[in-house]
Amino acid sequence: MSEHRAVVVDGVSKVFNRGTPRQVEALVDIDLTVGGGEFVSLIGPSGCGKSTLLRLVANLIEPSTGEVLVAGKDAPRARLDQEYGMAFQQAGLFDWRSVARNVELPLELKGWDGSRRRRRALEMLQLVKLTDFADHKPWQLSGGMQQRVAIARALAAHPRLLLMDEPFGALDEMTREHMQAELLRICAETETSVVFVTHSIPEAVYLSDRVVVMSPRPGRITEIIDVDLGPSRTVETREDASYFKKITEVREALRAGEDDRETEAVVAEERSSR
Amino acid sequence: MIRRVALFLGSLLVVAAIWELYKLIGPAAGGTVFGARLLPRAQDSAMPHVWDMVSRFGDPERRGSDRANWRVVLAAAWFSFRLALAGFAIGTLLGMGLAMVMARFKVVERGLLPYLVMSQTVPLIALAPLVATWGGKVQVGEWVWPRWMSAAVLGAFLAFFPVAVGALRGFASAPSASVELMRSYAATWRATFLKLSFPASVPYLVPALKLAATSSVIGVVVAEISTALRGGIGRLIVEYAQQSTGDPTKLFTAIFGAAALGLLMAGLVSCFEYVMMRNRPRPEEDERALDTIRREALT
Amino acid sequence: MTRRRLLTSLGPPIVFGLAFLGLWEAVVRGFDLKPYFLSAPSKIVEAIGDNVDNVWDATVVSGTNALVGLVIGTLLGVAVSFALMRFRVLDDLVTPLAVALNAIPIFVLVTVFNNMFAITSEVPRRLMVTIVVYFIVLVNVAKGLRQVQPTHLELLRSYAASPTAVLSKARIPNAVPYLFTALRIAAPAAVITAFVAEYFGGSQNGLGYGITSNSAGSKNAVAWAYVVGACTLGLVFFLIAVSLESYINTRRGLGPGGGTT
Repeated sequence: MSEHRAVVVDGVSKVFNRGTPRQVEALVDIDLTVGGGEFVSLIGPSGCGKSTLLRLVANLIEPSTGEVLVAGKDAPRARLDQEYGMAFQQAGLFDWRSVARNVELPLELKGWDGSRRRRRALEMLQLVKLTDFADHKPWQLSGGMQQRVAIARALAAHPRLLLMDEPFGALDEMTREHMQAELLRICAETETSVVFVTHSIPEAVYLSDRVVVMSPRPGRITEIIDVDLGPSRTVETREDASYFKKITEVREALRAGEDDRETEAVVAEERSSR
Repeated sequence: MIRRVALFLGSLLVVAAIWELYKLIGPAAGGTVFGARLLPRAQDSAMPHVWDMVSRFGDPERRGSDRANWRVVLAAAWFSFRLALAGFAIGTLLGMGLAMVMARFKVVERGLLPYLVMSQTVPLIALAPLVATWGGKVQVGEWVWPRWMSAAVLGAFLAFFPVAVGALRGFASAPSASVELMRSYAATWRATFLKLSFPASVPYLVPALKLAATSSVIGVVVAEISTALRGGIGRLIVEYAQQSTGDPTKLFTAIFGAAALGLLMAGLVSCFEYVMMRNRPRPEEDERALDTIRREALT
Repeated sequence: MTRRRLLTSLGPPIVFGLAFLGLWEAVVRGFDLKPYFLSAPSKIVEAIGDNVDNVWDATVVSGTNALVGLVIGTLLGVAVSFALMRFRVLDDLVTPLAVALNAIPIFVLVTVFNNMFAITSEVPRRLMVTIVVYFIVLVNVAKGLRQVQPTHLELLRSYAASPTAVLSKARIPNAVPYLFTALRIAAPAAVITAFVAEYFGGSQNGLGYGITSNSAGSKNAVAWAYVVGACTLGLVFFLIAVSLESYINTRRGLGPGGGTT
């Protein structure tokens, strides 16, 4: 792992609809660093703000307090400079474009000329093993294949950072495991850092170097767990004793986060009733 | 809700403003654009001022008459409204009845559906003058076909088709999981229809009813024009149009009356919609249903 | 399609259609119905044969009016829809107006237009068709431009795409199916408006006039001939709109229904 810091989140919090009756405190006091080539997962119960945090990194929304740096620049600058690629839960491919033309989209926006775009798109499709489908339409592909195209698109401009919001959430278990292995292979080949949002504990443990466990709303980081299962994960890893131990560790951290929230709530209630 | 009304009134003001603006700068005797006489006449006899149109309501209907204009227009609009309502009611009942028969007997559905769909693309209103001639001439024993019935029949005819299509689509829209559930209860066709198909059809019925209401109004107005039906707003419009060289603003009062008629019918259906859809998840279903109906049905 | 499938899907409509025509003919002959009430299908076919030229001429007149209005209304509607997409205020103003106009028998405005233009001009009718088509196209295309999938918008924002890029790469392609939905409605509506407008006076050369002038008395069957002409025209316009949609969809690589088949 290099000294390059892909993402720095410093003292960040996010409040939605401040000052109105619909005010929501989504994130509180988030400090996080992601190193070059690192794979970091964000996991937590629904509504804990993990997707919000990802969108803050992507500069799709602005933090209420604190600072977000991506590739050493502030987040808006990083977005304008296209320092990252993003994949969402829906593949979000354009129905009216072929698979290859979908992968070309970010390159078009960067002003690349046609043949260079086409070459890069085919290169990326080769990476995700979908070269044969370059001229197909998205609706002719299965869900898993569409997500692979989305990943190819996210990596098309060779960003050093990949942001992913539960991209495998809509897939069945077997496809999911297969895609996880593919993702690790691709990221190792391209040496990309990844911030990956999920609410599957086994997925987080299998994929990551570190797992960031978040508490229920307002989201705080309960614990950051090092996953020392070695750099290359295989099918055998899934049956390893240490894999299951890590899963238990993450599960307990999640529970602790929820218990903390409950205790706080109980304490607050007792205080107010006195 | 208030906002929508305010915006609607605002848009009317904008239209009025554009009208007056053209009057200000437009050629009095009309003009040409690229050699074609495309610019309308801006003089008062062709394009009266908006405020003149409104004030005309208060004046006597014609010289020497002591009935104010608005009374006459209102009476005519009310006359046509009752016909449109009757047509709408009959058309709706028949349409739903046919849809039920088609839902029950697949053969009937397969046989008639293509014609129903086609009816939405074919100008049924072309039949208006033909129906109109029945007035006063058709006799069954002692009873003579009253002229107003042609208008109601045409209204019913035009309302019938969108309702039939909409109701049929609505009945078919019940989720298959629910249909299977009813089958697992060994429910009769009748029970399934009453408890599942019919309630499920409401989001499709409502836009169909809106379309039917509009169609009924159009049918009645056109029939009135074809029959020159005394008392109806259609005939009033034609009459005032013929008198408009001498009395240009009168025509507009009748047009406003017709517009009010249409809005009233639409308003009624909206009330019905409000009542029926109160406890339902709203916008997407409505939009999807509306789009399906729109794709197959038109005025 | 297998022969059996063909039979079950085409059989019933044909049977119903023939039965209906047969019943019609039988009722007219059996009850000896006067022509001014209802003409027999056989008489109608005869009338069509006798009057083909006149019906054709009238169809051309009404059809041209409908076509001119359809084309201009569509172009204007598409052009203004961009403004509606860009300025929310405009959308808020126009939509309630469009909804209200939908409910009223708007074709009565032809009487006003007849005063605004020369009595022999075709412009009032074409203007009427243009307005009707304009609102249909405007509302639908504006919806298509606005209602893009949120994922697509987020994706493009993550690319720091300019508003123009978002427009050309996401909004416009998204709006194309909406345009065709609008055309499917607007094409027959244009035909209807074109000849209903003829009921309000003006030059006496279209289908509407043909129907009204022949409906009284013994020439009832001729009126029916004009009705058949009108229905055919409406059907043709609709089929053109549908085939255009189908063609564009296949070129885009979507199923003929448009979208993910």
